[in-house]
Formats: sequence, C-alpha cells, structure tokens
Amino acid sequence: MIKKVFLFIKSKLFIFVMAGVFIGLLFSLGMYEGLHRTSNDKFCIVCHEMAPMVASYHSNVHGGAGKSGIKVACVTCHLPHDNVLNYIYTKAKNGVVEGAIHFFGNPDAIDWHKNRQRRDEFVVDEGCISCHTNYTTNPNISEKGIKMHKHYVSLQDTDKQIGCASCHVEIGHKGLRSMLNYYKPEYEFYDGKFDSKKEAVEKQLLETLK
Amino acid sequence: MCNKKTLYLVGVFLFFNAMYLIGSEVSKTPPAQEVAVSAELQEKFPLKNHHAKLSLKCADCHEGQGDEPENFQMIGDEGCLSCHKSKQYLADRLKFMDVLHVNPHNSIHDGQRLYCDECHFEHQKSENMCLNCHSNDVKIWMKDTP
Ligand code: HEC
Ligand code: HEC
Ligand code: HEC
Ligand code: HEC
Ligand code: HEC
Ligand code: HEC
Ligand code: HEC
Repeated sequence: MIKKVFLFIKSKLFIFVMAGVFIGLLFSLGMYEGLHRTSNDKFCIVCHEMAPMVASYHSNVHGGAGKSGIKVACVTCHLPHDNVLNYIYTKAKNGVVEGAIHFFGNPDAIDWHKNRQRRDEFVVDEGCISCHTNYTTNPNISEKGIKMHKHYVSLQDTDKQIGCASCHVEIGHKGLRSMLNYYKPEYEFYDGKFDSKKEAVEKQLLETLK
Repeated sequence: MCNKKTLYLVGVFLFFNAMYLIGSEVSKTPPAQEVAVSAELQEKFPLKNHHAKLSLKCADCHEGQGDEPENFQMIGDEGCLSCHKSKQYLADRLKFMDVLHVNPHNSIHDGQRLYCDECHFEHQKSENMCLNCHSNDVKIWMKDTP
C-alpha cells in the first residue's frame, strides 16, 4: 500500500513539488498577513475592552506621541520574538500558561486594575531591548537609571528576576491607570463621575483610528 | 504512513524536545548572589513590599551615605524622585483623581508642593496628611498610603 503511494508520488514528482511550494507560499502569505493584520492598534481594538489600553497607547511616546513619532506595534512589546515554539516552551516552563489564557481570554471577566500587578509577565523584555540596545551603558540615561539597569541584569536568571515593566510602569500606555478608571472606577466614590471623560476618550479614539 | 520510521522520527523529535527543556533549565540555575544585608538589619528596617519585590539594596536609596547603616539618614524628595522621576509625573499617574480634586500628588490646597514624607514612610507604616483635617473623607477618596 505505502509502496504504491510512493510510486505514485514518484511519477508525479513535479506536480507534488509544485503543490508543496504553492501550499508553502500560501501559508507564508497567511502568516504574513495574519501577523501584520493582528499587529496594529486597529486590530487590537476590535475587542471593545481594549479601548483604555489603546487610548493610553496613543498618548505614549511609543504610540506616536513622541518627538520621533514612532509607533511600536502592540506585539513587539507583548509577544515573544524568537519563535512560537519557544514561546510555548517558556510559558509552559514558567507555569504561566494560565496567565496567558488570562491575558488573551475573555477581557470582560478580567480585572484590568489588578492584572497590572503582574505586568512583568505579559511584557516581553527582549522587545524593549531590541530597540533600547545599550540600556546598561547609554550615557544619556541618568546615573540612577544605569545603576538600576545593572541591578536588573544582576537579577536575571535568579528567582528574584524582574522585568523592564516592574519599574517602568505605564510605558507604552501613558496614563493607563487613569484611562482604566474612566472606563471602570477603582473606588466606589468615583462611580458615574467619569462619564464625560470617557466620552472624550471615546471620541478621540474614533478620530485617531479613522 | 504509520510505519516504524515515522514512529522513530517522532521519538527522536520528542527526545530532543525533552533535552531542550532540560537543557534550558540547567542554564537557568541561579548564579551565586552576593550577600546583600544581614537578616537582623533587614528586620529592623523592613522595606515596603513594592520595593522589596524589586530586591532593592539599602544603598539604592541611601546613596552616598557610606556603608554604615547607623549613619543612614532619610533620603528626602530628591532620593525618591531619582527613581520616581518628578512630582509632575507622579501627579499624572493619579490624574483621574483630579476630576474630584482629591489627587494627593496634586493637592487642591498645595498643588505639587508637598513632601513625600508627609505621607509615605519606608521602614514604618505610612500616614496621610490629608487625614489631619478630612478624617472621614480620605478613605473614600483614595486607598491607604502605600
Ligand atoms: C520599536 C522600538 C522600541 C521598542 C520595542 C521600545 N521602545 Fe522605548 N523608546 C523607543 C523610542 C524611539 C523612544 C523615544 C521616543 C520619543 O521620544 O519620541 C523610546 C523611549 C523610551 C523611554 C523614555 C521615554 C519615557 O516615556 O520615559 C523609556 C523609559 C522606554 N522607551 C522604555 C521602553 C520599555 C520598557 C520598552 C519595552 C516594554 C520599550 N521602551 C520598547 C523605541 C522603542
Ligand atoms: C530596577 C528598576 C528598573 C528596571 C528593571 C529597568 N529600568 Fe530603565 N530606568 C530605571 C530608572 C530609575 C531610570 C531613570 C529614571 C528615568 O528617567 O526614567 C531608567 C531609565 C530608562 C531609560 C531612559 C529614560 C529617559 O527618559 O531617559 C530607558 C530607555 C530605560 N530605562 C529602558 C529600560 C529597559 C529597556 C529595561 C529592561 C531591559 C529597563 N529600563 C529596566 C529603572 C529601571
Ligand atoms: C512600548 C511597549 C508597549 C507597546 C507598544 C504596547 N504595550 Fe501594552 N503594555 C506595555 C506595558 C509596559 C504594560 C504594563 C503597564 C502597566 O501596568 O503599568 C502594558 C499593558 C497592557 C495591557 C494590560 C493592561 C492591564 O490593565 O493589565 C494590555 C491589554 C495591553 N498592554 C495591550 C496593548 C495593545 C492593544 C497595544 C497596541 C495598541 C499595546 N499594548 C502596545 C507595553 C506596551
Ligand atoms: C531605587 C529606586 C527607587 C527609589 C529610590 C524609590 N522608589 Fe518607590 N518604587 C520604585 C519602583 C521601581 C517601583 C515600582 C514601579 C512604580 O510603581 O513606580 C516603586 C514603587 C513605589 C510605590 C508603590 C506604587 C504602587 O503601585 O503601589 C510607592 C508608594 C513608592 N514607590 C514610593 C516611594 C517613596 C516615597 C520613595 C522615597 C522614600 C521611593 N519610592 C523611592 C523604585 C524606587
Ligand atoms: C498627601 C499625601 C501624599 C504625598 C505628599 C505623597 N503621596 Fe504618594 N501616594 C499617596 C497616596 C494616598 C497614594 C495612593 C493613592 C491610591 O492609589 O489611591 C500614593 C501613591 C503613590 C505612588 C503609586 C502611584 C500609583 O499610580 O499607583 C507612588 C509611586 C507615590 N505615591 C510616590 C510618592 C512620592 C515619590 C512622593 C513625593 C514626591 C509622594 N508620593 C507624595 C499619598 C501621598
Ligand atoms: C526604598 C528606599 C529605601 C531603602 C531600599 C532603604 N531605606 Fe532606609 N530609609 C528610607 C527612608 C525614606 C527613610 C526615612 C524614614 C522612613 O521613611 O522610614 C529611611 C531611614 C533609614 C534610617 C534612619 C532612621 C532614622 O530615623 O534616622 C536607617 C538607619 C535606615 N533607613 C536603614 C536602612 C537599611 C539598613 C536598609 C537596607 C536593609 C535601608 N534603610 C533601605 C528609604 C529606604
Ligand atoms: C489643615 C487642614 C487641611 C488639610 C491638611 C487638608 N485640607 Fe482639604 N480642606 C480643608 C478645608 C478647611 C477645606 C474647606 C472645607 C469646605 O469648604 O468644606 C478643604 C476642602 C477640600 C476639598 C474640597 C471640599 C470637599 O470636601 O470636597 C477637597 C477635595 C480637599 N480639601 C482635599 C484635600 C486633600 C486631597 C488633602 C491632602 C492632600 C487635604 N484636603 C488636606 C482643610 C484641609
């Protein structure tokens, strides 16, 4: 039986190779399209609950609000870069699969305020470092900054390991805590008092994403 | 398709995967860490959880104050701001509170002029100077000073 299949393939080798190449190309195209479509802020905001994250992203230097006007894709900071397999491995190893499900799961059920406490888990330091390559030596960074960065490096691969986001809060999302509050106040006292703020944010978002 | 060869290949594949997992585990064993501070000192001057989990060392805050803890002094606003940037930045982080004028970092009375240690302490429980006059309201305006 198997022999027959092999013989068949052999006789139609050319067609099979072409089909293989075609399927391969189709896959790459799909991956390319998929990765690019799902990389920008327009895709991410499809899910309504992302509005505070996207709005605060637009106010940050990484979201187009800086002098350089650079717009860093969401996935650069939030998804690992080397390869998908490695991603799954590291996640499984660190036992944070649950965290990933939490992060990519049903956003309505997520307490985004509380979720920020584990920000070092869903921010990918390699992403930051791929741009901020000389963060331990850059003479333009303050003395304290350099000292902290060496501290960060010294904790790498220990049980005390921390992430860039452990210290750099609201990077990528300027005013994140306030934005989250406009959508869902942390304290009862503020209930219903942010409606006009939220409206303004919503309007601004529609404007930028047009 | 399901012949011995395929099985064999799958086996080899899984084997290398396992090796990879184990291998990467080995390289991650923590290198010997320098001894930070004596347990006694750490107990006497405990850090707030938000700083402790960053494994900050005494000298990260008590910078340029020598090695003798007996000589350590308070670090003032400047000490805090060497990491926390500026009062403007801190006020912005709690901007939502401005809507009701209760932002402790942008006080309705004093703007950004308050000292950190009118509310925050490191080695003891923090306070909140607003409580001096608004003893009831403060706890609904904001949480306990971290
Ligand atoms: C695609 C490249 C890129 C990536 C990825 C990136 N940055 Fe940046 N970052 C920049 C650029 C460019 C600037 C300067 C922007 C400007 O001023 O217009 C900047 C500015 C900064 C600043 C100073 C400005 C501020 O708001 O304080 C910090 C801190 C910073 N980045 C940290 C990070 C961290 C942490 C990450 C990872 C979570 C990260 N960056 C990821 C390119 C990047
Ligand atoms: C232990 C805390 C800590 C960690 C972890 C940390 N940083 Fe910093 N970083 C600082 C401090 C403190 C400063 C100086 C204060 C400031 O200007 O933000 C700083 C400054 C910077 C700056 C310059 C900002 C400016 O406006 O000049 C960049 C860029 C930066 N860090 C990137 C990173 C990246 C990338 C990582 C992860 C590899 C990282 N940091 C991890 C504490 C930290
Ligand atoms: C420069 C890196 C960077 C970029 C680009 C970036 N983020 Fe983030 N993101 C962060 C960091 C750092 C945090 C943690 C911030 C904090 O909690 O203070 C975060 C937090 C989040 C959170 C969790 C918020 C919470 O309350 O737990 C979501 C969701 C998120 N980002 C989505 C996005 C989306 C969508 C985009 C693209 C529009 C994006 N991010 C772009 C760095 C980035
Ligand atoms: C060596 C750097 C450093 C110094 C000095 C420092 N901090 Fe921090 N502190 C941090 C970092 C990093 C965080 C975690 C990120 C954040 O929330 O800004 C933090 C967190 C905090 C938080 C908790 C934030 C929260 O989310 O609840 C408070 C409050 C705080 N610091 C107050 C102070 C005060 C007051 C001083 C001065 C006595 C001070 N810090 C000095 C680095 C420092
Ligand atoms: C009037 C009292 C008061 C003063 C003065 C004050 N703080 Fe705070 N701070 C608070 C309170 C209360 C909170 C918690 C607010 C909340 O989350 O509800 C806070 C929160 C913080 C946070 C965490 C902010 C966040 O977004 O979670 C940091 C960091 C911080 N303070 C640092 C400082 C530093 C540094 C100074 C001095 C420049 C300072 N504070 C001065 C009362 C004060
Ligand atoms: C996050 C910053 C920070 C770190 C880290 C830190 N301290 Fe302090 N230290 C302070 C501040 C702020 C004060 C002022 C009093 C207070 O807030 O409790 C202080 C005061 C002191 C004082 C003087 C007390 C007095 O009343 O004059 C001593 C002694 C001291 N610290 C020892 C230590 C030792 C030992 C360590 C390391 C285990 C350490 N500190 C780590 C911030 C820090
Ligand atoms: C020395 C006493 C004193 C201190 C300390 C003080 N206040 Fe007040 N505050 C007052 C007085 C008096 C009024 C006016 C009372 C009124 O008009 O009802 C007031 C009014 C206010 C109001 C407007 C009226 C209201 O109740 O809504 C706010 C908001 C407020 N204070 C917030 C703060 C905050 C936040 C702090 C801490 C950063 C603070 N106060 C510290 C005495 C104080």
